[in-house]
Amino acid sequence: MVRLITHNLLACHVKGCTSNNFPLQLQNVQIELREADFNPDFLKTFLPKLEWKALVDSAKELGDTSLPLEQPEMLDDEFLKNLHHVLLEIHIEEGNMICPNCKHSYPISNGIPNMLLAEHEIG
Amino acid sequence: MARYLAVFAQAHQEFRVPELESIAQLYNFKLTLSDDPEECDPGRPYMILSLESEDHARLLAKRCVLIKSIYEFYSRGATYDELHSRNRAKRSLWERYIPETSFKFSVTAYNHKIPQRRQKEVVESFSYMDFMGKIDMKNPEISFGCFEEYETRSGKTRERHEGDGEFVQVYFGRLIEEGTARPLIQMFDVKKRSYFGNTSMEAEISLLMANQTLASPGKLIYDPFMGTGSMGYPVAYFGAQVMGSDIDGRQMRGKQTTPGVFRAASQYGVVSRIIDICTFDVTNNPWRCGELFDAIITDPPYGVRAGAKRLGRKKELDAHRLELYHEHRSNPRPGDSPYIPPTKPYELSDLVVDLVLLARYLLKPGGRLVFFLPTVTDQYEEVDIYTMLCPGMEVIANSLQDFGSWGRRLVTIRKVTSERYPPPDFSTRNTEGGDDKTQHVPAHRHFREKYFQGFKKAEEEEGR
Repeated sequence: MVRLITHNLLACHVKGCTSNNFPLQLQNVQIELREADFNPDFLKTFLPKLEWKALVDSAKELGDTSLPLEQPEMLDDEFLKNLHHVLLEIHIEEGNMICPNCKHSYPISNGIPNMLLAEHEIG
Repeated sequence: MARYLAVFAQAHQEFRVPELESIAQLYNFKLTLSDDPEECDPGRPYMILSLESEDHARLLAKRCVLIKSIYEFYSRGATYDELHSRNRAKRSLWERYIPETSFKFSVTAYNHKIPQRRQKEVVESFSYMDFMGKIDMKNPEISFGCFEEYETRSGKTRERHEGDGEFVQVYFGRLIEEGTARPLIQMFDVKKRSYFGNTSMEAEISLLMANQTLASPGKLIYDPFMGTGSMGYPVAYFGAQVMGSDIDGRQMRGKQTTPGVFRAASQYGVVSRIIDICTFDVTNNPWRCGELFDAIITDPPYGVRAGAKRLGRKKELDAHRLELYHEHRSNPRPGDSPYIPPTKPYELSDLVVDLVLLARYLLKPGGRLVFFLPTVTDQYEEVDIYTMLCPGMEVIANSLQDFGSWGRRLVTIRKVTSERYPPPDFSTRNTEGGDDKTQHVPAHRHFREKYFQGFKKAEEEEGR
């Protein structure tokens, strides 16, 4: 159940792949929606950690266009609810995450991403 | 500040004070231990604390796993005469209950059973308090507790009730709250869990660890050696969100379609707070940036039943085989089983050094790293803990769970810096061979080998 919060924190880590290695492109994904506890304080403190454009684009790919292109200055309730939904309630159950740079494919199966590297890909 | 009497469960003495301090910090209130060594010895079952409000005492009772109950402290004494004269002097604490409050008395002992006849005598000896309210054993408005503390007499045979009245100290107070965190030990019992493994941590310890992380709603807590998830469930139960990873996905998945960690989390009603579990080697991790987590909690595999692994080969491939490998990787044949990268052992003392460095990178300033470290009792030295520290990380608690010749230490480390550090490089340290005699070798190095040799002392080894 890779959620978009997790997707926003994962970059390709193949040896030598250090630029253009984020965000991982979503391919052949199956998603499920599941409710999570709404905690506005958590969202507010986590916001500075997010790569905003990557989040908006990935949400759009999965059919959710509720987030504004720019992070708003005022964090109203509606915005936080939308952010909550995008970050925590969309679950990628199956599919692949592809590095835009080296094309390494990280498969997701039963909601668990496999981020292991092959022996020639480690430092 | 008013004084309170904490009644502890008979377990994990060394963990008592760290737990109290963690919960006080979590709820941001002041807790002061007594200056009198008689009143603050963590090896004894009764401790006297100073708190600013009764609500704080309730918070302790609700969250501390080691607290059985907490009382407003009235008096104590080596004899009942001493107890009563001090209790008379504290009349202002209890006189408001005299007119019409219904009440109950309980008289119990630690390491002893008081015969009923004497229990009755003890209750009667408090008659000078002159309570007018009715005695109600079922639903009293207030309960008084009188506790006699006896020396440990385990291992000695004795007559029933022998030595009755020869207590070390007797304590008296009014019940504030029965501890409600202790029953969680039953709730999280591994045997009743829908998914667990042979190295799942027992419930009581994982709850204690969760308290050390200051888990609460709105926090994000990471376990880099997730295994079957035992650390994650209590943390999530206390409201925090959990991120987990493990090099071996099979540990987290189990055999059914729905991964085992999610099944067990569902059983506790916390599955929505397990944010994600990912398969990766923490020494080759995909985290995009640092300062993500409020705490890191983990029970690293230390090699007795399962050893830690990291990606790589014990022995590098020779040129020919390397070529074959590349050939095979670039032209996979249909029907090949999926490629599983090779792993090599991850020495425990290297692992803990890396873990502290990783925590410094991944924790927010002020965040905590909570983990278990196995150690050989005879060889442990205080300095062992410091061999793994790096600037910006400070040990705030270090409690031993003693199994005799070995034990494990629950270590809590706090990130005291807000400086940004780069991620650790996890390079393989070449500390084998022992050519560097100046460096201190911690007792947890090669723990697995020492365990299977039965922790023979160095002298015995040499004598053979």
